[in-house]
Amino acid sequence: MLIEILQQMLNGLAIGSVYTVIALGLTVVFGILGIAHFAHGSVAMSGGYLTFLFGERLGAGFFTAMALAMLAGAVIGLLIERLAYRPVRDAPHINAFIIALGLTMMIEGLNLLAFGADQVVIQTPYRGVFQIGGVAVAELRLLVIVTACTLIAAVGLLISRTKTGKSIRAVAQNRPAAVLMGVNVNQVSAIVFSVSSALGAAAGALVGALLAIAPGVGEGLAVKGFAVLILGGLGSIPGAIVGGLVLGISESLAAGFLSSAYKDVIAFTVMIVVLLFRPEGLLGKR
Amino acid sequence: MSARTRQGLVLLALLLAALALPLAVKLPYFLHLIILALIWVVLAQGQNLIQGFTGYVSIAQAGFMGIGAYASTLLSVKLGWPVWLAMAAAPMLTAVLALLAGYPSLRVKGHYFAIVTLAYNMVIFIVLTTWSSLTGGEAGISKVPRPPDIAVGPFVWLLSERVGYYYLVLAAAALTTGLCALILHSRVGRVLVAIRQNEGLIEATGVQTWRYKLLAFVVSASLAGLAGALYAHFIGFLNPDAFGVDHSLNAILAVILGGSGTLAGPVVGAFAVVFLPEYLRVAENYRLVIYGFILVAATIFMPRGLVPLATQGLGAWWTRPKQEPK
Repeated sequence: MLIEILQQMLNGLAIGSVYTVIALGLTVVFGILGIAHFAHGSVAMSGGYLTFLFGERLGAGFFTAMALAMLAGAVIGLLIERLAYRPVRDAPHINAFIIALGLTMMIEGLNLLAFGADQVVIQTPYRGVFQIGGVAVAELRLLVIVTACTLIAAVGLLISRTKTGKSIRAVAQNRPAAVLMGVNVNQVSAIVFSVSSALGAAAGALVGALLAIAPGVGEGLAVKGFAVLILGGLGSIPGAIVGGLVLGISESLAAGFLSSAYKDVIAFTVMIVVLLFRPEGLLGKR
Repeated sequence: MSARTRQGLVLLALLLAALALPLAVKLPYFLHLIILALIWVVLAQGQNLIQGFTGYVSIAQAGFMGIGAYASTLLSVKLGWPVWLAMAAAPMLTAVLALLAGYPSLRVKGHYFAIVTLAYNMVIFIVLTTWSSLTGGEAGISKVPRPPDIAVGPFVWLLSERVGYYYLVLAAAALTTGLCALILHSRVGRVLVAIRQNEGLIEATGVQTWRYKLLAFVVSASLAGLAGALYAHFIGFLNPDAFGVDHSLNAILAVILGGSGTLAGPVVGAFAVVFLPEYLRVAENYRLVIYGFILVAATIFMPRGLVPLATQGLGAWWTRPKQEPK
């Protein structure tokens, strides 16, 4: 029983770390531009499909393919920011959200046209399984966790240690003041969108390797990403990490012990319960 | 002629045209689409209440429509309730569920409310698909009965016929629009619009905004439930496909396209989202892309929707009183 629980928690850790990467991409965009970038999940799916494509057609290794997909993701992010979000920057926030919904439909539609409706699983050479005290640890899951941690750390360093990061934080704290201090806001939002979309593409690749990519998965991922933010507390990177782990682990435990068909229902129930008792999130400030 | 009488005349003309419409429409499929569009008017008016008036985007409208549809169907098919009673119970049941769901979700604001409602829609869809002993799962429930005909003296209202059902949904759409007009012009409506404009300010004046938001959410959901019941008994076959997240997005599209926060907007928008796919059928594969593009372009280039655009184009003939010569 205990081993079974540990096993499911490990599985939850892997998928939870992917949710954290998704949530991180969402939280930087939200924190800086105030946009709930719902199309993020669909961008992630494009990243997953592209990773698959680069692996199949170009014969690239998983991580090379993922890096290429991240580059493509960054370009997609730039385009989205420039063409769709910038025109409504001064309009009420609800407009940007509706644009995000429209983008979701467009990107889902384009994914469907380009890659078909079939489920895609990205094949990786990492098929080893270690036994640690009776718990089966799949090599792939470990790699997913390590990759996710690396990405999270890289973004954390970018934001906290670099000059670019400083201007990003300045815009997040007080946009007009940042403009007056000579921060180029257009450049900052372009950077933020490309970083966020690159993160999304990486998450899509990890999902494709760990589970599968199919039409409709993207919307689910975006909702999970936002659920992580709601769970953890808005605008906090530690909150996103805690939220991602809570969501991933509760989902795996639900799938393992209750019902795999209802695992999403249970994950969302956890979110609602947290909202009822701590609307500011687990690590949010009151 | 004052603006009020002019508006009254236009409404009367529209009503007469709507009543006479089945005489003019010869193609049964066309009438079928009009009935669907009128059901969507009920749905879109509900969506407008929370999205257009209050400024909170709910992405659960199709899910609540599903609850209404399944409630009415299951009550009449499995429990043998009279169809009229089941159809009346459906919006109430939906309202009770929306009350339970709305309370926690309204503790977060703006975008996060939207995401939580989206999660509700996903949950409803999963349950409808998975709980097959009750809902029939993907295979669905067939032979959902039409409401019985009503005979008043020598006149018989044939609801089993398409034309008869048309008048039922026409009445539902008109009453729903009337209800929304009443809400908009009442104190409640003014509070809702104030919440959209500046929630912090209205809260500071001592109004408990969450009650009004919850009310808007519950009424909006129960209208969706009514639309679901009307839909189920019209189509006669029910499966979860019509109640997924993409249909909730369509409801949002209807409100934005028509004109969010206006009374006529959702009517125009509902007809647009029902008839548009028929004309886009040639481009079936591109439908999602085109829809998304319309939504993005509409938000950027005409954020107030078709109706305000059209009324402006008509020289504000509809809203502003004409300058009387002195």
